[in-house]
Amino acid sequence: MILYIAMILLMILLSPLVLSFIKMLKMFLLYKKPISIFQGYRDFSKLLSKEIIISKETSQITHIAPYLVLSPLLLTLFFLPPVSSGEYYVSFVDAFTITGLISLSTFFLMLLGLDSASSFGGLGSSREAFISALVEPAMILTLFSVSMMANNLGVGQAGLNLSKHFPYEHMASFIFAGISFFILLVAENGRIPVDNPETHLELTMVHEAMILDLSGFYLALIESASSIKFMIFASLFASLFLPFGLDLPVVLAIGVFILKIFFIAFLVAILEVNTAKLRLFKVPNLLGIAIVFSFLSLITFYVLGA
Amino acid sequence: MTSFLIGLFLATLITALFTMRLYRLILWYSLNSLSLALLAITIGFHIGDNSMIVSGFFTLLLKAIFIPYILKRISLRFSLSRQIEPNIPVYYSIMLIPALLVFTFYLAEPITNMLSSNANYVAISISSLFLSLLLMIEHKNIAPKIIGFLSIENSLFLLGTIATNGMPMLIELGIFFDLLMAIVVINLLFKQEEEVKE
Repeated sequence: MILYIAMILLMILLSPLVLSFIKMLKMFLLYKKPISIFQGYRDFSKLLSKEIIISKETSQITHIAPYLVLSPLLLTLFFLPPVSSGEYYVSFVDAFTITGLISLSTFFLMLLGLDSASSFGGLGSSREAFISALVEPAMILTLFSVSMMANNLGVGQAGLNLSKHFPYEHMASFIFAGISFFILLVAENGRIPVDNPETHLELTMVHEAMILDLSGFYLALIESASSIKFMIFASLFASLFLPFGLDLPVVLAIGVFILKIFFIAFLVAILEVNTAKLRLFKVPNLLGIAIVFSFLSLITFYVLGA
Repeated sequence: MTSFLIGLFLATLITALFTMRLYRLILWYSLNSLSLALLAITIGFHIGDNSMIVSGFFTLLLKAIFIPYILKRISLRFSLSRQIEPNIPVYYSIMLIPALLVFTFYLAEPITNMLSSNANYVAISISSLFLSLLLMIEHKNIAPKIIGFLSIENSLFLLGTIATNGMPMLIELGIFFDLLMAIVVINLLFKQEEEVKE
């Protein structure tokens, strides 16, 4: 139980580090002078000391929404698969709950964008709705097919089962699910082929457009929510698609887990440097590939058993 | 391991169906052939069949390296258009491809009932045959059509490898020779298209 709580705290603490790591790696690969890996923490503490300025057009939603964006994601952290095999975990939470909690957070983010009635906010919200509507079916299908392969619908139990009896005979459908989930990881976190997190250009903004009006503590909440969201996806990917190293001693298992997270961050950074941002109306094509692969993984598993 | 490589084979083929750039398509074809070659080599080592290992190495050299390189050079020389928009819009493909896969999985069921080993993989290779046909159908330009033709050849090789534990060496070599002839013909076709353009 102590390990369970400690792991959740560790994930929360590590999440800004992972995003700064991606940024640092990207700047290094583009021959820029890289930022410090601790920049995420610095930004957070800077935002904490700033005052909160809110447009007078806004309603009560702006005061509530930042907390409600963060809290479903914090709740999701409790339901993730265990990092080490001796750890406590919640076994009964399935794909619907995790996807639902993540989209609840996205829903409040969209409300926040609409609330201040600026033109950018509405634009960002509509784009986010458009993307997340396509992400959800693929995500549910992918998580379901992986948990079916692991013989348990609960995601936490599935992660443990996968590490104990890896389904070598279902490797083909496992790969399809992996490809699909990686596309979802990129799409849902607003990384480059879908959304560029670093620009404030109106043509490309999705996530940034919604939070343009925020400042101070609320902005810090939203920023940490987005880094925790990346952490959730990365840790789901690590425990469902790279299921090894759970049986090691606890400290080593946690070390392996952190290495896996940084490996995923490395992959995302490489992808970001090597691809151009897609036009918004090409994004459904990418997510369509994700849906095709997730469906394919399910039917390959069911019909062929391969 | 076999399952892993077959998964990669189908995955690269499906990604090729959604590709809109010519060089990217050639890259996917090359990766497709690479997974096929590794598959043939693994199965060859597994069942101790030397001729299959040899044909796997031929696949690696010829289809994964030589043919993509030649295709890229030819397309550079004749300055073919690098944007290849499929005739079938992507949102139809999203529905069409899973439907095709389900159809072929059930279509292959009588065949897979006859086989004892690797029955699942036969269904996958038949479905990849249909997907490469779709790749030929959905493009107007000549270059993607040729890639579709080469992918059909790949899927047939996969079917031969999986279903019969390796065709006779002579047939494999004959197919490779045919493929080289096909590349020569393709060269002529490209030239023809170039003249038509002018």
